[in-house]
Amino acid sequence: MKKTILYTILITFVVSSCTVSKPVLKTVAYKKMYDEKPVSVLIMPPINRSTAVDAKEYFHSSLLVPLSNAGYYVIPPFLSMEILKKESAYDSELFVNAPLQKFGEIFGADMVLFTIINKWTKSYGYVTVGVEYIIKSTKTNEILYNRKGTVNYSTNVQVNGGGLIGALVSVAATAISTAATQYIGVARACNSYTLSDIPLGKFAPVNPKENEEFAGQNDFNINLNSQYSN
Amino acid sequence: MKKIILVAFSICALYSCTTQKLYSWSNYETTSYNYLKATNDKTSADLVKSYEDIIKKQNGSRKVVPPGIYADYGFLLLQMNKPTEGKTMLIKEIELYPESKVFIDRILKKLEK
Repeated sequence: MKKTILYTILITFVVSSCTVSKPVLKTVAYKKMYDEKPVSVLIMPPINRSTAVDAKEYFHSSLLVPLSNAGYYVIPPFLSMEILKKESAYDSELFVNAPLQKFGEIFGADMVLFTIINKWTKSYGYVTVGVEYIIKSTKTNEILYNRKGTVNYSTNVQVNGGGLIGALVSVAATAISTAATQYIGVARACNSYTLSDIPLGKFAPVNPKENEEFAGQNDFNINLNSQYSN
Repeated sequence: MKKIILVAFSICALYSCTTQKLYSWSNYETTSYNYLKATNDKTSADLVKSYEDIIKKQNGSRKVVPPGIYADYGFLLLQMNKPTEGKTMLIKEIELYPESKVFIDRILKKLEK
């Protein structure tokens, strides 16, 4: 009897600890970033571990906007990419776990953003992306920000009305939208969803409520659509 | 019909009011992707157009050109064999964003060699 109760309690504990994750304040989750107050960020060429050949470019061209809009100085992405190529530092995989001081000296970057695309698969009406963002300090080499997750992006254009004609329109819309612009939208949605909780940078107006805001889950699974790409 | 347009319009207006971003970007993400994917006269010209749009009319709340734009535009002009215009843009980046000085000075020095 005692054993049964004990097991029940234990199991309940395990189950509940798995499913319930308490929200964490941004100031707690990203404490190191708030303490360090970085101003400038270098976007590293995304690391593509997926089988989609273009995924790297989709991400690379859609990171300047969300980081700038969050108030950071972003090192000019095309110019820095050229220098990284010339210095044989284009393979970001080499630097994820390496000292980053050099990036501070050469680019004037306070922090470096690594993006890892773990998965990019297309199925009918959906693109599923596994992605991780790691921001590291060039001063301390510490991780300032880290989120990873799976984004299920609906490439289906919602058409009201339903019925047979509605279904046909929906099929046609999907066929048309499977173009490069659509996939930039996928990368953009991943970036803007994930980076939406990044601490605000120098150029953003002060938000007096920022210290009351919660960080997003650091390991997430989310369904998004084109409304998130705008 | 007119009503629908009006409603749609006011929703749009309301939406843009509440979510005004620091900067506006024209269609930078698409043109920069196309340029990254295949660099040729057409994709270069399209990217130039985006940079000029961003520089000429800023609808963002800061009303200034976003980070990296002057410098990357300058870099593109250098690639297109326009060294004087290119350098001017690089210098504008430093003026607007002193944070870029370490990096851009290095590039300007290399160009003088």
